[in-house]
Amino acid sequence: MPFEPNEPQKEIKYEETRIYTDAELNSCSDEELKNFKIKHQIPDLEELENGPWPSFVADAKQEALHRRKLADERMLIDRDVVEDMLGQLQVSFDDGETHWKHGGIVGVFGYGGGVIGRYSDLPERYPSIAHFHTIRVNQPASKFYNSDLLRTICDMWEYRGSGLMNLHGSTGDLVLLGTTTEQLEPIFFELTHVLGQDIGGSGSNLRTPSCCIGRARCEFACYDTQNLCYELTQYYQDELHRPAFPYKFKLKFDGCPNGCVASMARSDMSFIGTWRDSIRIDQDTVKAYIAGDVVPNGGAHMGRDWGKFDIHKEVIDLCPTKCMSLVDDELRIDNQECTRCMHCINVMPKALKPGKDNGLSILLGAKAPILEGAQMATLIVPFMKAEPPYDNIKEFIEKVWEFWIEEGKNRERLGELMQRTGLPKFLETIGLPPAPQMIKTPRENPYILWKEEDVPGGWNRNVNEYRTRHKR
Amino acid sequence: MDELKKIIVEFAETSKKTKFYFKDIEKAVQKVNPDAKMREIKNACTALINEGTMIYFSTGSSTMYGLKGKGMMEDPE
Repeated sequence: MPFEPNEPQKEIKYEETRIYTDAELNSCSDEELKNFKIKHQIPDLEELENGPWPSFVADAKQEALHRRKLADERMLIDRDVVEDMLGQLQVSFDDGETHWKHGGIVGVFGYGGGVIGRYSDLPERYPSIAHFHTIRVNQPASKFYNSDLLRTICDMWEYRGSGLMNLHGSTGDLVLLGTTTEQLEPIFFELTHVLGQDIGGSGSNLRTPSCCIGRARCEFACYDTQNLCYELTQYYQDELHRPAFPYKFKLKFDGCPNGCVASMARSDMSFIGTWRDSIRIDQDTVKAYIAGDVVPNGGAHMGRDWGKFDIHKEVIDLCPTKCMSLVDDELRIDNQECTRCMHCINVMPKALKPGKDNGLSILLGAKAPILEGAQMATLIVPFMKAEPPYDNIKEFIEKVWEFWIEEGKNRERLGELMQRTGLPKFLETIGLPPAPQMIKTPRENPYILWKEEDVPGGWNRNVNEYRTRHKR
Repeated sequence: MDELKKIIVEFAETSKKTKFYFKDIEKAVQKVNPDAKMREIKNACTALINEGTMIYFSTGSSTMYGLKGKGMMEDPE
């Protein structure tokens, strides 16, 4: 189904929106960059440039040199911001503690999120970064950009901000690092009115929803992650911009259990594509894999000779639930036992494909360690259809929010609340029946305590009589 | 809506604190008006923000509400 935006999309043409000339953008030669020293001594940071990977220090120095060469009227905040930022970071390395303060009253009018106040606690030494606020920009679904838009945002940020940005923050936003309070409203105007973008979530808000590349580029996607992400971002605009949650809340969308956005570890509510029929098997292509006519793993890991493809060693024996077998050269899968690990499909993508009766699983409660330790998500809905207008999904989300807003303490994430109340109580509240898929070893783990009214016939049990035979 | 706004402002003016979690505002409003729904209280808060009576205050990771001009304003220096 072709994508239909909720409102007409602006077409950005860099040639019309650009601020800087090519000469200004390409003002630094490699030679100059090599010999460039910023105004502060930063020995520890320079050490970071010696590793095998590209370093943010090298990028920041390039930006510092670039800003030195721009004319005064070609940027609206201090020329030295990047150099001062690096200088302060060196001091933080020396002291073993940060010199950034955060929070306060910065923001754009009417929005409760998207701008994070950032202040230096060494403003005398580093005056240009005394105010150095962060702006989050809501990324498009799957982070598919048009280069005209990216260049336009880069120019705008060079002009009104530090020129430093982070693609992308953990939430998924495009993160613009460092500007002054006076520039916040003009930047917001440029982003929203001129470029048709929006700022992302921060604070006690719904954070910017984020999704994998989905059906746009991936054959494994079991539902249209981009469409669901876009729909929920639009539908929950109020939750995204006007905070009333106990704490942050993240929605992430993975099209299949490969989990390219790692929703299971990073979001309070994780949507993972799955299927409820059988893995589709093309037996002829399985034979071609065995014969070595098709390269396994879609050609990945081809840097060295791994020997002939061995379907037992590389696929069947690695199946975590041992649900696969090869009988008379025919691959069989006991789909009831399949745990959707995706390994066989990843190794033989031409022969195996996810089933056709598609939908998603919903997992709740993942979080990074802030108040309590890190938590992985718990599977709550084993299967749900995911088709527009997604009313079933919205209904579920709102039920969970209702419970969390009602019961959650200030700064308590959903995962912590679930842990505090216990899974049985949580399920009862949101009105879902317990299912074996919710826990790892359902046959051994009696995580649901039955109530007498739930069991046909009830029971007669005298605890005191039981205790005469079984000491506590 | 106007009644809710009045309750919120009264609570914010009389409280010892100057910044409030939404949940604390909600509890305070429901003490006076038990029928007030969370969504209505949120809308009243949003209206107060848009009027300029209240402001958002961010701790960096969570968001609070406060009366404009009361307690810490502008940058935390």
